[in-house]
Amino acid sequence: MAWDVSRRVFLRGAGLAAVGVGFHPSSLLVRAAQAAEAGRRVLVQIFLRGGCDGLNLCIPFGDAEYYGLRGAIALGRGEVVDLDGHFGLHPALAPLKVLYDEGRLALLHAVGSYGLSRSHFDAQDFMESGTPGDKTTSTGWLERSISRVPGNAVTEAVAFSAQLPRSFLGPEPVLVAQTLSSFDLRARNWRGEAETLLRAMYDGRPDVLGKVGQETFAAMDVLLRTPEIMAPPAAGAVYPGSTVGSSLRQAAQIIKAGLGTRAIFVNVPGSFDTHANQLPANALEFTRLADALVAFARDLGGMLDDVAVMVTTEFGRAAFVNGSAGTDHGSAHCMILMGAGVRGGRVYGSWPGLSRSQLYQERDLAVTTDFRDAFAEVARAQLGIDSSSLFPGYAAGPGPGIVA
Amino acid sequence: MSAAASVIGTAPFPADIGPRVAVHLLNRIGFGPRPGDVERVLARGLDRYVQEQLDAPADPELDSRLRGLTTLGYPVSQVLALYNADQRSIATILDELNTAKIIRAVHGQNQLQEVLVDFWFNHFNVYVQDGFARYSTAAYERDAIRPYALGRFRDLLGATAGHPAMLYFLDNYLSRASTVVNGRIVQGLNENYGRELMELHTIGVDAGYTQEHVFDAARCFTGWGIDNLSTSGRFVYRPQFHDRDAKSVFGLGVPAGGGKDDGDKLLDYLAAHPGAAHFISKKLAERFVSDDPPVRVVESAAATFQATGGDIRAVVRTILSSAEFWAEAFGSGKPKTPLEFVASSLRAVDAQVSNGRAVAAYLQNMGMPLYSCVPPTGYSNRGADWLNPSSHLYRMNFALDLAAGAIAGVSADVRGMVSRMGGNAEDARSVASTISARIFGNGLSASTLAAASRVAPGGPVSVAVRVTGLCLAGPEMQAR
Repeated sequence: MAWDVSRRVFLRGAGLAAVGVGFHPSSLLVRAAQAAEAGRRVLVQIFLRGGCDGLNLCIPFGDAEYYGLRGAIALGRGEVVDLDGHFGLHPALAPLKVLYDEGRLALLHAVGSYGLSRSHFDAQDFMESGTPGDKTTSTGWLERSISRVPGNAVTEAVAFSAQLPRSFLGPEPVLVAQTLSSFDLRARNWRGEAETLLRAMYDGRPDVLGKVGQETFAAMDVLLRTPEIMAPPAAGAVYPGSTVGSSLRQAAQIIKAGLGTRAIFVNVPGSFDTHANQLPANALEFTRLADALVAFARDLGGMLDDVAVMVTTEFGRAAFVNGSAGTDHGSAHCMILMGAGVRGGRVYGSWPGLSRSQLYQERDLAVTTDFRDAFAEVARAQLGIDSSSLFPGYAAGPGPGIVA
Repeated sequence: MSAAASVIGTAPFPADIGPRVAVHLLNRIGFGPRPGDVERVLARGLDRYVQEQLDAPADPELDSRLRGLTTLGYPVSQVLALYNADQRSIATILDELNTAKIIRAVHGQNQLQEVLVDFWFNHFNVYVQDGFARYSTAAYERDAIRPYALGRFRDLLGATAGHPAMLYFLDNYLSRASTVVNGRIVQGLNENYGRELMELHTIGVDAGYTQEHVFDAARCFTGWGIDNLSTSGRFVYRPQFHDRDAKSVFGLGVPAGGGKDDGDKLLDYLAAHPGAAHFISKKLAERFVSDDPPVRVVESAAATFQATGGDIRAVVRTILSSAEFWAEAFGSGKPKTPLEFVASSLRAVDAQVSNGRAVAAYLQNMGMPLYSCVPPTGYSNRGADWLNPSSHLYRMNFALDLAAGAIAGVSADVRGMVSRMGGNAEDARSVASTISARIFGNGLSASTLAAASRVAPGGPVSVAVRVTGLCLAGPEMQAR
């Protein structure tokens, strides 16, 4: 199994670190090794910011109402990538069809929150805290998940993001980075002295500033002393240069380096808030997404059997086209699931229909699966945790049955 | 300011109190002290300094620094003409915008005004890389934000609502009345601006409005557009696109038959709504006081907002006059945003900025590229949201590079600065204590001072450079 190879690589990295000049002995690497023993499965959540239009991601071309609602932005039966005679992928997502046919990729339609907010900020907050309608929840859903997993290595939870995502908010340490390369101090001719003295300034300081400094040096310990983290993609995988591409490339690197990583969050601030001129924006972003997912699957190879990817967004968009060849904020959206244990080759979810009376508030695709049931199912499978109590005030159900 | 004075008079550390309070004020209403600022504020008196900042008089020295940035003053049509003649000019246009932002923060005398321009731009955010916004963001900040930063909220709101950059960014320029063609409704409306106007710009998401109110708010602005996106880029009202039916928005009834003034009426209504007074006051208190400002400050600021018809200067004065504001001088501080960290570091070493491109690249790596927050929400106002390992590494490296004079477009001579401030540039302990006294109001912690004082003598990089870099990279510089 590939993982055993990378774990040896990891232990070699730890040995190097122990003799490195200026390295402060730390139990972090030991704990990372323990976490790697405890579990090898990884949960990757990709969050498309802005409200990605599920009706243009997985298109219900077989629903008689679709063409009337979408008008000028409807895609023709011949344009979509037919999945089952009723749904079709947006043409820019065509590269995913192979994974779908291999049974490694599934879609979950009409998923969302019954406690709806059409505010980006609130809807993201509610999804990331996992408590729709309650803004006082102090932790994120991934933080609560990872806190139930043994080990607390700095690389156990990783976010590719400019800021700590709400999903990871809480006491568990999280490595937040836009890039893992050159994770080093720039102090030419006095680097050792700079590191020693800066560590002394931050070590032992109990406040948030001390915490961030300590986390920075802990991350440096791991990243600088694990050269495998910079390994090029395997199997000729080519990632697109977009945010989602570079983030998934680095996600694969850190997974393959065997640093005990269990949960990865990929923040994608793209052009998904398609109020106007939607078709080119979706074509661009979906191309980036599909190319990145295909490269990730190729790069990981057999290790994809241990890695589950879920693609999420805060809400879908209104069922009808607006006056600007776009769509305004809506309700249910569509998730993509790929990898470990995913029983792919199917579009999951109960289809609510698109007739006026079937639409939520006569405007949006209605929610038929609570997002928390889907999140809980993936967390249970990937992290081996009892996820029924993961969401305060909500007993997650058995889930849609996508992940074995 | 009498309340403030009494707080200062009874505070617990009389020996420290002068410089520490001055640093607090400089950090909160500006981008931190330059060498000499602490002494200047103490000599002038806190009240007078605050009043000068609220007055924001002319600043000819800053004007002369900005004079070479010629595109800053261009109307949108001139920017478009320049771009149409040579598309490469967009690099210059955006560079000048970024450079001006850094120069103003680092060199401007009216620090409070610069803080508020940044605050309001972020409140009424547009994303500079979004199509037409590339050519209109400089004009937007210059014409719709800056003149009203200390003015009336209603004027600010109106200037943003009618500016082509906002009309473009939130898609209102496309929004028109829905029509019936061959018995079918053809959607014309775009809800984007109507929603964000209420949620982000005025009353906040928890005010209690409904989807129907969002819909009708958007209908009020149908026909508010841009005359031409590629040549003139001016506001235009197109009556043929206006929805003339009656509207109902969160308690405001707008009768049928109106025109452009439907939108103006809604702006009047929302700007005067108690929800806006509270929402805006809370956000200002978050900026000036703390991530979770005391209710009392927010309520008194909101009361001033309502009593003065949304006079921003008066609201800010109320916040700066509160005991809670001054008590923060003795608290743990609010974590700085990347911009606050970068600008305050540049000021601390008396840097001269001629070009902001390299500085802007650091800000991008810290997660806060200038004018480039994609969602309409704007960047987080909460300091704690900006702390993470990757960003922190870039902060430390910015500090080390800055002290070493290794940032393009920035000149800094820390050895000379230490000497001018009376320290011995060859002695680590002397450099550290001089910086602590003159820049931090004696606020460097014992462990930071001890670590900086351990810098070894000699070596290829001067003691002053190393100690200064460490003090700026250390924990106290990360909060204000």
